[in-house]
Amino acid sequence: MIQLIHVSKSYDRRVALSDLTLEIGKGEFVLLMGPSGAGKSTLLRMLIGEERPDQGQIFMQGKNVGQLRQSEVPYLRRKIGTVFQDFRLLPKKSVFENVALPLIVQRSSTADIRRKVTEALRAVGVEHKKDQSPASLSTGEQQRACIARAIVNGPVVLLADEPTGNLDPERTAEIIELFKLINARGTTVVVATHDPHVMSLVNRRVITLMQGVLMPERQGGDSVGV
Amino acid sequence: MRWLVYLFREAWANLRTNRTTTVVAIVTTAFTLACVGIFLLSYVNLRHAADWLQEDIKVIVYLEDRLSQDVIQDLEGTLKADRMVGGLLYISKEQALGEFRAQFPSDSHLLEGLGENPLPASFVVTPAPNYRSLDAVNRWAERVKTMAGVAKVDYNQEWIDALAGLIRYIELAAISVGVILSMAAVTIIGNTIRLALFARREEIEILRLIGATRAFIRIPYFIEGAVLGVCGSALSLGILKLGFELFRQQIGSVGRFRGIENLVAFLPLSICVAFVAVGMVLGVAGSMVSLRRFGEGRG
Repeated sequence: MIQLIHVSKSYDRRVALSDLTLEIGKGEFVLLMGPSGAGKSTLLRMLIGEERPDQGQIFMQGKNVGQLRQSEVPYLRRKIGTVFQDFRLLPKKSVFENVALPLIVQRSSTADIRRKVTEALRAVGVEHKKDQSPASLSTGEQQRACIARAIVNGPVVLLADEPTGNLDPERTAEIIELFKLINARGTTVVVATHDPHVMSLVNRRVITLMQGVLMPERQGGDSVGV
Repeated sequence: MRWLVYLFREAWANLRTNRTTTVVAIVTTAFTLACVGIFLLSYVNLRHAADWLQEDIKVIVYLEDRLSQDVIQDLEGTLKADRMVGGLLYISKEQALGEFRAQFPSDSHLLEGLGENPLPASFVVTPAPNYRSLDAVNRWAERVKTMAGVAKVDYNQEWIDALAGLIRYIELAAISVGVILSMAAVTIIGNTIRLALFARREEIEILRLIGATRAFIRIPYFIEGAVLGVCGSALSLGILKLGFELFRQQIGSVGRFRGIENLVAFLPLSICVAFVAVGMVLGVAGSMVSLRRFGEGRG
């Protein structure tokens, strides 16, 4: 599903990623751990074609992301759901309209949009808030709406960059459960976080980055000390 | 269809969000384009006057004195056979004198002192419709001057030359002013679009990340630019029409110019439509400039 081969990236001589080689299989749930500045966000940005590696190759579903033409990048992104720490919901649009955006840009039919948005909102548990503005939602609900937007077009991969950064431990657990449910339906999920508490909630593969370098892999779950 | 509705709604939202800027942009664009319109209006009217003069052009072929009737008839036959001649009227010396007396009755005594009728016989030639251009008439006049029995060839060349020169200047000024002010209109609209882009930068970023194509992101701003351009140019036509009617009223009330108000005309519908279309193109150009500067569409 996702393959990185000797990927390196620097910004003004500051190394963000160094000779990274890893593979994430279809349907996997992977935690991408590391402190701030470890290179997690850079890696996610590369996966969606927002950044290009200085060296190495990145493959997404067999396509070399680094060699995509600019005009092909939007079509790659339509296969990837992205969840942000700050939710990035548009304040002047309702929850429904926010979640519908990925379908609108793909020129889906009105009936399709109505059906898929309702399904996505139901899946994340905020269907009853669909007509409200994002500002009237709690932070947990806003993140759920953001996740609904990320899954509404049935992506093959879900990338989440610090999705629980603004949430309390209780909401964090709820959101992680939601990711597990989405993963159980076959979507590959990659969650980048620096929060060790998240690692304790996920008994899955953990990839750790330290100053852009890949550390030995671990397994998350109850046994991990927080 | 929802995506189409979305694009238009976003453009409308842009216009509404920056309401004051939108109104200022439309009004400024309108006055800028109205300046271009003044030149266009002057050009169209002078062109019309030139065409009218051209249509009405008469060439007078004055004959030498004491030509025999045979020579005059030969000359008439030659001129009639010329494909450039549309109509021909012979004015004898006596007819010329009679016309002079009729037109200037108080001055007719001036000729009596001379004894012999000094006015020459002439042919008044109306060029054929396809040969009424200044160049064609010039060439024809030069040719006729060399014919035996022709003393002089005369037509309202000075008037036409002066008008053609004026038209060339107006044309040049209209193009120069048009280019400069069009650039100003592009800048005005471009700045308005830039404000909208800045206000919605977060939305643009989100759209990019969820897979919106460059065209999808740009279209609302192109629509916004087009709307600003169309509104600005339409308003400028309104301002021009108002100014034109006031001018017509004023000029009609001045005795010396009475009658001119019926000769001048506002821009024809086809030019008005083209003017609005140009406004739309300038608006879209403004959007393009701003989108490029804003760096939207980096993939």
